[in-house]
Amino acid sequence: MLKNLAGLWRHRALFYVLVARELKARYRGSVLGFFWSLLNPLLMLAVYALVFAVIFQGRGASTSPYALFLFSGLLPWNWLSSALTDAASSLTTHGALLRKILFPAEVLPLVAVVAQGIHFVFAVPVLLAGLVLGSLGVFGTRVPIGWPLVQAVPLLVLEGVFLSGVGLFLASLTVHFRDVKDLLATALSLWFFATPVLYALSEVKQERVRALLVLNPAAPLFDAWRDALFYSRWIEPSRWGVLLAIAGVAFLTGYALFDRLRDSYPEAV
Amino acid sequence: MTPAVTAARLSKAYRKWGRTRAFGTLKSALLGRSLGAALAPSEVVVALSDVSFTVARGETFGVVGPNGSGKSTLLKLVAGLFKPTSGQLTVDGKVSALIELGAGFHPEISGRENVVINGVMLGLTRKEIERKLPEIVAFSGLEDFIDEPVKTYSSGMYVRLGFAVAVHVDPDILVVDEVLAVGDEAFAHRCLDTIAEFSRRGKTIFFVSHSLVLVEELCDRVLYLEHGRVKGLGDPREMLAAYRLDVAAGEGARLAMEHRKDQEILRAPAHSPIEENPPLPDASRKQDAEPPPEQSLEQRTPLRRWGNRDVSITGCRLLDASGVERYAFRSGESVTIEIAVAPRVPTTDFVFGIGIFTPDEVCVHGTNTEIDGFLPKSLDGPGTVRVTLPRLDLGTGTYLVDVAVHSQRETPYDYWRGACRFQVDSEDQGAGLYRPERRWTFSGGVSVGAR
Repeated sequence: MLKNLAGLWRHRALFYVLVARELKARYRGSVLGFFWSLLNPLLMLAVYALVFAVIFQGRGASTSPYALFLFSGLLPWNWLSSALTDAASSLTTHGALLRKILFPAEVLPLVAVVAQGIHFVFAVPVLLAGLVLGSLGVFGTRVPIGWPLVQAVPLLVLEGVFLSGVGLFLASLTVHFRDVKDLLATALSLWFFATPVLYALSEVKQERVRALLVLNPAAPLFDAWRDALFYSRWIEPSRWGVLLAIAGVAFLTGYALFDRLRDSYPEAV
Repeated sequence: MTPAVTAARLSKAYRKWGRTRAFGTLKSALLGRSLGAALAPSEVVVALSDVSFTVARGETFGVVGPNGSGKSTLLKLVAGLFKPTSGQLTVDGKVSALIELGAGFHPEISGRENVVINGVMLGLTRKEIERKLPEIVAFSGLEDFIDEPVKTYSSGMYVRLGFAVAVHVDPDILVVDEVLAVGDEAFAHRCLDTIAEFSRRGKTIFFVSHSLVLVEELCDRVLYLEHGRVKGLGDPREMLAAYRLDVAAGEGARLAMEHRKDQEILRAPAHSPIEENPPLPDASRKQDAEPPPEQSLEQRTPLRRWGNRDVSITGCRLLDASGVERYAFRSGESVTIEIAVAPRVPTTDFVFGIGIFTPDEVCVHGTNTEIDGFLPKSLDGPGTVRVTLPRLDLGTGTYLVDVAVHSQRETPYDYWRGACRFQVDSEDQGAGLYRPERRWTFSGGVSVGAR
């Protein structure tokens, strides 16, 4: 397994061109091209701002302005859901490749995670612009803005590692059980509500429910995203430790399963 | 020097999962049985078994065999895509597989970008591929389209680009699987030239094709696989002759079986309305030349057999020179058509005819006893009629035999279209249906030599 992991480094050129292909192919043929990476989150922000600032009013002060609060959780969530959806089907959609060309198959789910990660990164300037406007009081309550924002970089890496692990796990399962793809759509929407994206963990008053929600491996991550982006708070070292452990366990578990089933892919896809 | 490819008692079994696996449901794995049990194969299909061979460096090694004999599996093992179930396979050198050209081309991006990606996938560095790009584009002959998205390419262009990339990877071992069947004539030639060039440069080539002519031309040695086992290994001429013979024999066996089935269906006296009906009055016999309108077997197999059956054909078979029933012949062999006949009432007015046709209804030859100068005397009871063609100088293909018995005024008693079917195998490269013996003579200023 370690040898295969090391072998992955030799294939970084392949990794690079596949990510580039993924990004190029996505917007080929559309007029605005790469701008969609920027425009999409902007439009999304507009929709959420409209819905939550105009239609659903009167949420707690801790999550105000709600549009920004929501946006700071929704962007990393979109990365999670799109990356896992793509990664899960990455082996089956590229079955022709696996059957014809010899290359490390883990490249495919990892490319899915990274390509979606790049879309996420492209959307970050929109969030930053929103935060700057928010700190000027454009959305009502002023939001703090400061150095804790740089925590987004290690969080990006941690989420990437976490998603790679889950992505590898799902990809190898999907080869043998095609219904993972269908199940995943429902599971993701359940996971969405179980993760503090629409709300903050501190808002959940029932102790028992909160204890249950904390078991969600994505919960600490999204809590951290919120702290870094929205509250501009420093995350304590112990919480970093938890995040690192979750990402590490997810990656090793996913990779171990993927590696174990490796030889079955060219025949089963 | 170590050989390029060494296979020792190589076997490959595909796992086939039972009915619960057919839909690959997670539910079935989670409920009822454990995940491990669901992943366990319930049946094993052996694609290759106990295959051993070595391919020397610089050798062009051919693999032939019928469909399902394990050729593609062997290629995929050599290319490293599949892992052997048991046995040892050592491949020494960089392999480039022309298994499916252009695998991995992304339709939305340009040919140029795809070449880079494909090259990297096949193991080149980005620098190498950038350097070779002009050469690859020139080889493919797609200079004008290289910046267009690949989805606008024709399938021929697609394959050309794929081939261009694959040969520029500069492999030590080139694995070629039936790729020359696509692309136009000019490109096929270029492919062959490239393969020959590879061979001259001392590269090892692993070649699979159904084009036996190509295999014979290109390969130094040939492996003949059947049902995943080695049927033979050695000189191409010898192996291909063995393969051709087996194919012809198999074809013959199939035709013989079909023939028996045909005879059963068409003979089927108990179900034939003609046999059940009382003899028809003379006046209506002319109409009877058409298939009867009733629910009949002739309707199921339209226009295959008609006539009033005053004399009926009760069987038809083909015999070879030694009198053995056979349906596959080599060009130039002797063939005897045997017809068994039985009259309803004794008659003195009869003509026997035969005809040989191609499946697209071209008459190869037709004759009857009248043409050949026989006068009918009497037909009192069941008998057989044989006509022997001492030399069947026909080209490779399937042929149909029509047999008939009719009156001298050509009222059909029993006309049976396609009563037999046979296969001819010819090594003669000449064109057309007829493969006569030839003798050439040259005189005067004409001078020729043997090829």
